[in-house]
Amino acid sequence: MKTALRLENISVPGRLHALSLSVDAGKVVGLIGPNGSGKSTLLSVAAGLPPGAATGRVSWGTEPVSTIAVLERARRVAWVPQEARFEFGFTVRSVVAQGRYAHGDDGAGVDEALARFDLLAVSGRPVDRLSGGERQRVLLARAVATAAPLQLWDEPLASLDPRHGLEVLALARSLARAGGTVVFSLHDLRLAQELDFLVLLEGGGLLAAGAPAEVLTPDRVRAVFGVESRLQSGLCLSLP
Amino acid sequence: MKTAPQGLVVAGFSLLLLLAVLSLSFGDVRLSPGQLIDGLLHRDEFAATILWQIRLPRLLVAALVGAALSGSGLVMQAYFRNSLASPGLLGVSAGGAAGAVVAIALGLASFSLFAVPFFATAGAFAATLVVLLLARRGASTERLLLAGVALNALLGAVTSYVLSAHTLTYERNAQVLFWLLGGLEDRSWEHVWMAAAVVPGALLLLPLGRPMDLLSLGAKEAQSLGVDVSRLRRWLLALSTVLTALATAVAGMVGFVGLIVPHILRLIVGPEHRRLVPLSLIGGAVFVVGCDLAGRAAGGLRLGIVTALVGGPFFLWQLGRSER
Repeated sequence: MKTALRLENISVPGRLHALSLSVDAGKVVGLIGPNGSGKSTLLSVAAGLPPGAATGRVSWGTEPVSTIAVLERARRVAWVPQEARFEFGFTVRSVVAQGRYAHGDDGAGVDEALARFDLLAVSGRPVDRLSGGERQRVLLARAVATAAPLQLWDEPLASLDPRHGLEVLALARSLARAGGTVVFSLHDLRLAQELDFLVLLEGGGLLAAGAPAEVLTPDRVRAVFGVESRLQSGLCLSLP
Repeated sequence: MKTAPQGLVVAGFSLLLLLAVLSLSFGDVRLSPGQLIDGLLHRDEFAATILWQIRLPRLLVAALVGAALSGSGLVMQAYFRNSLASPGLLGVSAGGAAGAVVAIALGLASFSLFAVPFFATAGAFAATLVVLLLARRGASTERLLLAGVALNALLGAVTSYVLSAHTLTYERNAQVLFWLLGGLEDRSWEHVWMAAAVVPGALLLLPLGRPMDLLSLGAKEAQSLGVDVSRLRRWLLALSTVLTALATAVAGMVGFVGLIVPHILRLIVGPEHRRLVPLSLIGGAVFVVGCDLAGRAAGGLRLGIVTALVGGPFFLWQLGRSER
């Protein structure tokens, strides 16, 4: 199995402590943990973005990120922030087309990305006049338009309605089937249960990583999240 | 659908040409189109003297100053991700003016043609650094404007000190006052050469439109999409500071150009910098040449006064709009 992302002994003062992790290619990986456990920092460090780790090494595949040029990085990894502030009224289409910056073309895959996130109808609208969920979809569409094999998304489902949330999940699965890797943070443990691989953080350290059933044991869920958990049938949602 | 940028660039240049012809014809001595051509070709010595000694340098300085201030404002807005950032409001112009004033007061201006631009640039860079310290990137409008207020006051004090310390040297104080008022009176070819560095600065700015788009939506996002953010920021800051400094060195404090021109253009062509960069440079030239013409038509209002009369109300209107 090929490794898509490897973190070795990563420390960020006050955020992450000597964290090591390895993620296989072709997986949909969930990053879980209570608020302030270091999920966003981990995603940002994994994407090779500033301020970066104080110590440790991030590698994509077998190459350390520090040896990869900035432009090339954008073709390998896409990163989606939790929130974005838009000061200027760029259109939805032009923001998604920014995903092609590192490829030097404006068009390729932009329409497809817009369609995938149900944004064609609003493609001419300024991004500063969208709802929170629409903004999140714009950022995801931009990330997908980069065609980067490793996708790192910070709480992509936070403000999406049920259908768009499931579509994002379905998209992540299809990217993984095509050989890509998607790592994203989430708070919904029921959804996390269905992913290929889970990474559980607590207080800036790695608590557990592995198959959901191994990671989300009732004892651990109680210890980390302070909630009781048990499996039982409930409302089940899926795409038609 | 938005108008094609090429069309607007052509329209901008046409407008600039029209204003240039008006600007060259108009004055104490009015020149007919025939005299204008004869003068420019040195066939009419009287008209040639007026055009080549007075009006042409003034026109060129006006166009260069306008392009520089407008381009500089556009860059600062993308850098600070705030559409109210501009060289005047942030105190960078005041820094340039303070530098120029010190150079004049020390008597350096008479030594070398480049003393004033050099000191203006140094002053502007000092002001830029202070703004960076006071208002971090992505700072709120309030923080940015307050930083500007503080810096403008501080640099104003430097200028006032120089004025008060040289009350006995009337000539120098007259020169200093010139910088405070901002104007294009008595601009000579020397000033044109001083400001000529605006042209390479503007050319360096042209290819930065696309990365500026990405930067204006967030530094970390831009970096993740392939922009070398720290390098781009250094370039943008250096270019905008030098452009402001050059404009200030030749024309003194001319306010609001960098605020008003990019704003109007953004309303017309949208926020994309690939269009805004060339259009702001041309639009700035059009705006300043136009303001200079209006000031002369109004019986000799100085440029800084005209731009303030247009820009002040516009700025207040924008501030009201951004409250929403």
